[in-house]
Amino acid sequence: MGKSISVTDLKAWYGDSLTLKGITMELDANRATAIIGPSGCGKSTFIRCLNRLHETSPGAKMEGSIRLEDEDLYTMDPVDVRRVVGMVFQKANPFPTMSIYDNIAIGLRLGGIRNRTELTDRVEKSLKMAALWDEVADRIHTPATALSGGQQQRLCIARALAVEPEVLLMDEPASALDPVSTLRVEELVEQLKESYTIVIVTHNMQQAARVADKTAFFLNGELIEFGETTGIFTNPVDKRTEDYITGRFG
Amino acid sequence: MRKVSSASKNADRVFRVATGVAASSPVVFLVVIALIVLVQAIPSMKFNGWHFIYGIQWNMGNLYGALEHKNGVTAAAGASYAALPFIVGTLASSIIAILIAIPISMFTALILAYRVRGVLQWILSILVELLAGIPSVVIGLWGIITLAPWVRDNLAVWLSHLGPVVPYLRGPVGTGLGLLSSGLVLAIMIVPIITATTRDLLMQVPILYREGGIGLGMTTWEVVRYICMPFIRDGFVGALALGWGRAMGETMAVLMVSGSAMNLLPHNLYSPISTMAAVIADQLDSALTDASQMAVHALAELALILMVLTLLTNFLARWLVTRTGRRRSTKAGVAA
Repeated sequence: MGKSISVTDLKAWYGDSLTLKGITMELDANRATAIIGPSGCGKSTFIRCLNRLHETSPGAKMEGSIRLEDEDLYTMDPVDVRRVVGMVFQKANPFPTMSIYDNIAIGLRLGGIRNRTELTDRVEKSLKMAALWDEVADRIHTPATALSGGQQQRLCIARALAVEPEVLLMDEPASALDPVSTLRVEELVEQLKESYTIVIVTHNMQQAARVADKTAFFLNGELIEFGETTGIFTNPVDKRTEDYITGRFG
Repeated sequence: MRKVSSASKNADRVFRVATGVAASSPVVFLVVIALIVLVQAIPSMKFNGWHFIYGIQWNMGNLYGALEHKNGVTAAAGASYAALPFIVGTLASSIIAILIAIPISMFTALILAYRVRGVLQWILSILVELLAGIPSVVIGLWGIITLAPWVRDNLAVWLSHLGPVVPYLRGPVGTGLGLLSSGLVLAIMIVPIITATTRDLLMQVPILYREGGIGLGMTTWEVVRYICMPFIRDGFVGALALGWGRAMGETMAVLMVSGSAMNLLPHNLYSPISTMAAVIADQLDSALTDASQMAVHALAELALILMVLTLLTNFLARWLVTRTGRRRSTKAGVAA
């Protein structure tokens, strides 16, 4: 089951530039939250803070608190954080030296699962969850890089799901995909939010409207508006949100 | 319409000839050198036969006595040439060097590529490259003055305690000039070249894949072990082959710390040895006094074996890589 995340006064820097200027928000368990906003508004930085990936960049720093239910993510070991907060990246990044099977099994093996039958079952289950199994069932030992872009991205989703995280972060997961693959990823998010807390960054407002229960609008490192998706898109409170969603800037 | 002047036509002709000559010169040099070595080695092959490869005695014979005729060639009476101790010395010292250099280079490269940044990265990289620039004779001198006594008094004594477990570590530890010191000196000489190449390779691993691993909850070491190292594997073997070639062919530093053993196979890690390259440098002077010239031919055959062995081991390494490796497609990005 997913867990909720509460973010309090989150600030993040790259070197001297303040990218997030104090974000406070609650991300509900088992719901999909979309983060929208123009390029450079800090939405990617925000979700990179949620799995502590931000701090691995040169010169990156953060401040504030992020709690996963009753645990403080920033007192945990970052490696443990990333095992409960999974991530799918903007560009599909299956490990290029591994087969489809190994791409998924590696996380399980490192998590201590050695039994072959169990590994195979979990790989199959993850591929089914990511709606990829039917397309690759007969070639799971071939290189992952031979898959199409959309398939690679679903493989990355399967890889993240295999280790059974509680939260799934998606950083513009469909921005490099064709419309059909995008639709498949969106359907997937729809299904996955039953068991995971999903945070999805997107450029695409229709996508946010289609998949997200709640939507947050970021601008220049600040959270401008956050609420139920229908409310944000039909009746925005802030003028800047309205301007953005009606396409007047950004 | 502009007419091409005859001066610029001539310049173009000169340019084409010059680039042609320059471009073909590496091939020409390689072929010419290989041919000369081969031709020079033929009399020695006739005189010594296969014995040259498995025999132990290197004896130039009586240079002031009668000449001996055998298989259509002439040599000093009593002469007998065999290279096994030098082949063994070369391979053994190179293997020691590469075994020491692999972990040191790998971890140094990892630190340079991923751990340090900015000025510190720059300074450390410069230091590694400076190490590569130390003339081998200087390293050899340091080897004689500092390394060999330390090996004799400390390292070898300590290692010899493991003698009951590993036979080759058993004493006597000798003078400090020998196989172990040669291996250490070679390791120092090949670490910079392997480190610099490996660092460049590691820096080429796309951040996308490393973040994929980090995002999956891999530790720093697991990212290196499961993502970066497989990614750079072919190049890393190339870097090792480069270091290996350098170790096999290194002459001066090894000559100074090897103990210059002749007619003797190493019996433990501290035995005096000689390598093929060191023997050629060491023996050429006296070989030139051989009126039959057979001693020079024998050294040429040694050079030929060195060249062939270096090439063979290089090919072997590359073959091992392609044999064990699954073919990796380069189109790793999104094709959508």
